[in-house]
Amino acid sequence: MSELTANPTLPQTGEELNGPDIKVTPERLQVADKKAHVGANIHTDVEYAKEQGLSAPIVDGMLSVNYLSSLLTRAYGQAYIERGELQCKFIKPVYVDQVVRPRAIVGEREPGEDGRERQLLETWVELEDGTKVVVGKASVEL
Amino acid sequence: VLGGYISDLEKGDEFEPVRYTLSSESVIAYSDGNEEDGDWFHGDSNPWGKQVRPPTMIHSDKMRLLEVNCAKERRIAGMTGEVELDSDARIHFEYHCRQHSPAFVGEELVLSGRIKDRFERKGREYLQYELEVNTADGRLVTTYLDRTLLRYTPKENA
Repeated sequence: MSELTANPTLPQTGEELNGPDIKVTPERLQVADKKAHVGANIHTDVEYAKEQGLSAPIVDGMLSVNYLSSLLTRAYGQAYIERGELQCKFIKPVYVDQVVRPRAIVGEREPGEDGRERQLLETWVELEDGTKVVVGKASVEL
Repeated sequence: VLGGYISDLEKGDEFEPVRYTLSSESVIAYSDGNEEDGDWFHGDSNPWGKQVRPPTMIHSDKMRLLEVNCAKERRIAGMTGEVELDSDARIHFEYHCRQHSPAFVGEELVLSGRIKDRFERKGREYLQYELEVNTADGRLVTTYLDRTLLRYTPKENA
């Protein structure tokens, strides 16, 4: 288990946040959502995925969202859990056994609510070759 | 239209709210399943002194609402693999979560929401959800927008 920090040193504008490289194995998918991935489904069932028009099973997009959310939790701590915002668009499929990496670039700050500053970020998840599969943005009221 | 399949949902449909008490087991199971090993989500050792859930659990709330409001949707029951599926798989297209306060284990949560839009683009149909999570005593926890593709194969190719 990792120990989270309530008020970590805040990253500065222009700084890049990089999560770990994660190979999305079938075992990872099974664990990610046991309820959703048992029986016929597009995440672990080859035949059903093809029946649905996909070339192969695809990874549940929420896994990528969670990797980004974990990155933001570690960068902004309590503020992210209380007042964070994360928007993600799934622009390309992730296939089983591909490696994904959550990333973010810290943007500008702008006036937020209740006199706080709002930190803006660009966020994405990319494959090993840099292809973006999830794009989005985030903000945290500091 | 509520009570049928997810693909029957239409713009303006208001979900019947769902209430449940957030359990420690569900937060741990969700966190572990998504490789979030932070201590805040596994116990009371955190700045609030009580176990908190990851913001992304709003997606589980969406599934809870659909289970109650789309009774014919065997895809949800079908996830057990015990029944034959009779509807198409959906593809998640957009996730947009905004936190207004944390949700703690032991709190009763009230899920509500509506279908904000249903539209077609390039032969594919999308649903846009607008959901909200409040505590039973009225504290706003999360607001959430979601776009989901109802079927991967475009209509003309079906």
